Amino acid sequence: MNGWCGRLLAVDLSSGKIWVESLKQELLQAYLGGRGLGVRLLRDSYHLDPFASEIPLVFAVGPLCGTPAPTAARLAVVSRSPLTGTIYDCSAGGRFAWRLKAAGFDAVRISGQSTSPKVLAITPQGGELLPATELWGQPIAETVQALSGRGSVAAIGPAGENRVLFGNIMMGEGNAVGRGGLGAVMGAKQLKAITVDGDRRYDVADRPRFDQARKDIMRLFRASPVIFGDLGIAEYGTPALVDLMAQRRMAPTENFRKTVFSRSDKYSGPAIRQAYQPKKDGCYGCPIQCKKSTREGVPLPEYETVSHFGALNGVDDLRSIVQSNTICNQMGMDTISAAVTLATWGELRGTFLRADELAPLLRDIAFRRGDGDLLDLGSARLAAQKGQPNLSMSVKGLELPAYDPRGAYGMALAYCTSNRGGCHLRAYPISHEILRKPVATDRFSFAGKARIIKIAEDTNATIDSLVACKFSFFGASLEEYGELLSATTGCEYDPQHLKSIGERIYLTERFYNQQNGFTAAADQLPERFFVEPGSSGEGIEVPPIDRQRFAEEMDKYYRMRGLTPEGRFADADFLERQP
Amino acid sequence: MKRQLEKYAGKLIADGGADAASMAILAKDDQILELGSPELLQLGRAVLERLNVVSLVIADPSLPLLDTLFGRLSPQASEIVPLDTETRTFLHDIPVVRRDQFSAEHPERLVELLGQRKGILVEGVGIMTTGSVTVELGYINYCSIYHALFIKILLDFLQGNPPTLNEIQSLLPLWHQLQVPIPERVDDLRGAGLGEHEDILHAMEIAGRRTVELHLVDSFFGNISCRVGSRQYISQTGASLDELSGCIDIVADDNSSTAGITASSELIAHRAIYQQTGAAAILHGHPKFSVILSLLCEETDCRIKDCWKECERVRSLCGTPIVAGEVGAGGIAKKVPPVIGETGTAIVYGHGVFATGSNDFVRPLRALIRLENDCRREYLRLLQGRVVDSSSSVLLAQKQV
Repeated sequence: MNGWCGRLLAVDLSSGKIWVESLKQELLQAYLGGRGLGVRLLRDSYHLDPFASEIPLVFAVGPLCGTPAPTAARLAVVSRSPLTGTIYDCSAGGRFAWRLKAAGFDAVRISGQSTSPKVLAITPQGGELLPATELWGQPIAETVQALSGRGSVAAIGPAGENRVLFGNIMMGEGNAVGRGGLGAVMGAKQLKAITVDGDRRYDVADRPRFDQARKDIMRLFRASPVIFGDLGIAEYGTPALVDLMAQRRMAPTENFRKTVFSRSDKYSGPAIRQAYQPKKDGCYGCPIQCKKSTREGVPLPEYETVSHFGALNGVDDLRSIVQSNTICNQMGMDTISAAVTLATWGELRGTFLRADELAPLLRDIAFRRGDGDLLDLGSARLAAQKGQPNLSMSVKGLELPAYDPRGAYGMALAYCTSNRGGCHLRAYPISHEILRKPVATDRFSFAGKARIIKIAEDTNATIDSLVACKFSFFGASLEEYGELLSATTGCEYDPQHLKSIGERIYLTERFYNQQNGFTAAADQLPERFFVEPGSSGEGIEVPPIDRQRFAEEMDKYYRMRGLTPEGRFADADFLERQP
Repeated sequence: MKRQLEKYAGKLIADGGADAASMAILAKDDQILELGSPELLQLGRAVLERLNVVSLVIADPSLPLLDTLFGRLSPQASEIVPLDTETRTFLHDIPVVRRDQFSAEHPERLVELLGQRKGILVEGVGIMTTGSVTVELGYINYCSIYHALFIKILLDFLQGNPPTLNEIQSLLPLWHQLQVPIPERVDDLRGAGLGEHEDILHAMEIAGRRTVELHLVDSFFGNISCRVGSRQYISQTGASLDELSGCIDIVADDNSSTAGITASSELIAHRAIYQQTGAAAILHGHPKFSVILSLLCEETDCRIKDCWKECERVRSLCGTPIVAGEVGAGGIAKKVPPVIGETGTAIVYGHGVFATGSNDFVRPLRALIRLENDCRREYLRLLQGRVVDSSSSVLLAQKQV
């Protein structure tokens, strides 16, 4: 079998047992890997509480991992989110995925709960549980350092240990399994870290075809100004978007009360370059290298992070923003959710935090002490507990990233239709509404957007299952990645087929959510966006979103998905018909 | 969405690619919206409802290019490989479908191939393309394939089997068109200075639109820029040159802002040209005959396989240098600037033409027109040398009455 190992490492932390299971080829072909495989593996347990002992935490790589396919050395981690209650997956780069595949596994399924802190050490021979009492409480860098020599590391920090609802799993190279709190799920299992090492190499089924597809992809990367342009992400990282979002007047500011922050040039891509002379960094096997780090190797913040610790909190101090990013990385905590929660806190208090107040409060959140013991719950629970739920800028409990929905109506829809809550990456309409890829759409129009979002969600579910980086798709498409996959596995995959797999994955997630109590009422933006305008100016009008048009397009979306007007499955047996 | 259908149906006709009777455009919202010939719409519906895309364009080019292609293809051929850089980059190979492989009742083969590629060539029907995001994208893919088809056939007349009398006769409107030079409609650009912000935008919009109107580029390709002080005004990536309003980025030389991340993929090349030549304006189009003749290489013992990327030679066409180089960061920025300074014009192998000006867009536009007129004449001269019968020769030289 090319492309897949056909093996899953199963770990029961309660009993300490570790064993290898076979994965059927038909299942792998139907779900690919990554997000799709992880979602499928949760079929019998999606209803469990995220902190229940039996809930699985799945790490899954994709069929392209281990090959020279561009940006494909990634994995997805899947479980149920303690922050949102939805099924949850997150894609991450680094070297961990590549090493896991090199150890001979497509996936690791971890269930149960240890009675004391453990490290799971994976090698081609299987897995071993090591005591980790001394590592418990340690920040990420120290944990990774302590485990050096065991290959790549995925670890939680104090935030995950303390079940902060937006605790991350951090890859040793600085990449995050972020947003939905899967670090807290790992913490509840008392699993401090996973190490993985392996040296198995993989061949592809059709090398000339693979090489041609790879060449085509690289040509498309070079043709994409967003990727390899003078002002693109390879040069500036994602903070290249700071200036663009300011110009488009859709940079969330002061907890989304405004959409322009006049001092955003203090933390823009060029400002970061001037202040830090960053070096290019990135995931294993990635030609783009969009991550930027200091000369000392400390990861610098992404766009979402600079904008949210910046504009969203009214802070223009770059050093403070970078420090906040570093603390979140060290504590193992999601930067978007943390920053939005701080901004919610600011609005609730009537005054936003000063730059020098960010760092201590972030540490308090990670250790759940003082006000941090309330903020660790995320913005939705915080605002609800304070009696002002409308001040949480979240969907399904997931804090919104740094694209104001009043400035991009596809984004407004996509936040709501996303199965994991307010996420920009599920349909990624910023690609066409702002970055003009593969073609520009009118960002202030709902016309046709439901269909676009639906197709993009299917496409991106596939991408997350391959597992490839979404930035690749600022240049390439499923056409080229389908070629890579066909050449790798020897099975034929074209874009249409791949999108049908993505559709299956998306619908499966939605079905899980429905069974867990989610209805169309959860597919809703915060009220603010329908009643308050953004910051108009310089010829750009940013009105509140038209509620009726929004609702009409959501209705269309449900019809396109084959759902009832209430956003539900008409067919209760949906899962039984899936492979 | 209906407005989009009407807009791009109009463009298909205006750009000369298709006529109303042999065209259909369909789009999927929560239901299928459509415009065009009833017969094609029937086929289009059957195809579109089976595909997970937004739009479908079906059109048979007014020039009988598809008939010509299928007449030249071997019966075993399942695809054509485009030679022009844009199509080669964005669409790869283009599948072909014979008329006995499908029907409106059984469109499975069409669906299968459109599930694999952005567009296909269908015997007896025309070019079929899909758009995964918008109607516009289906139209863009149509334009790309039309462009690729045109170049491939016209180049094949020079490099492959010479055209038959029948082929020459069927393409008579084209030969007539080539007898009439592209008019040098540039005078109204004179004085459209590069001073005030509004004047600059206006000048770029006029020059861009004119470039499209004169068929020196299909509307979605090409790019335009000018340099004013330490800033560059440049069309955005994927912007239609005939619809530049709101689609021009301003990029500072010192990269003090990255808002220009949406600028044309050729920003790198434009910057390098400005740095090395001192020019103030650049126009980049894809005039068809300049592209076709750039692909004619007489090297016989060359080891290079990927001519678009790897060729280091500087050849010449009608006194204009030709260099290789792929889009964006793919080499144009390295290879064009060193050669464009002398003549103010450079051709990129299989791609298009860059032309510079020192004050406005008069010189760049005129340079594109003159080069294309020269290339048209040269093409006809070369073709005359290829045709074997006197009737063909007469038809090629005939002017429209």
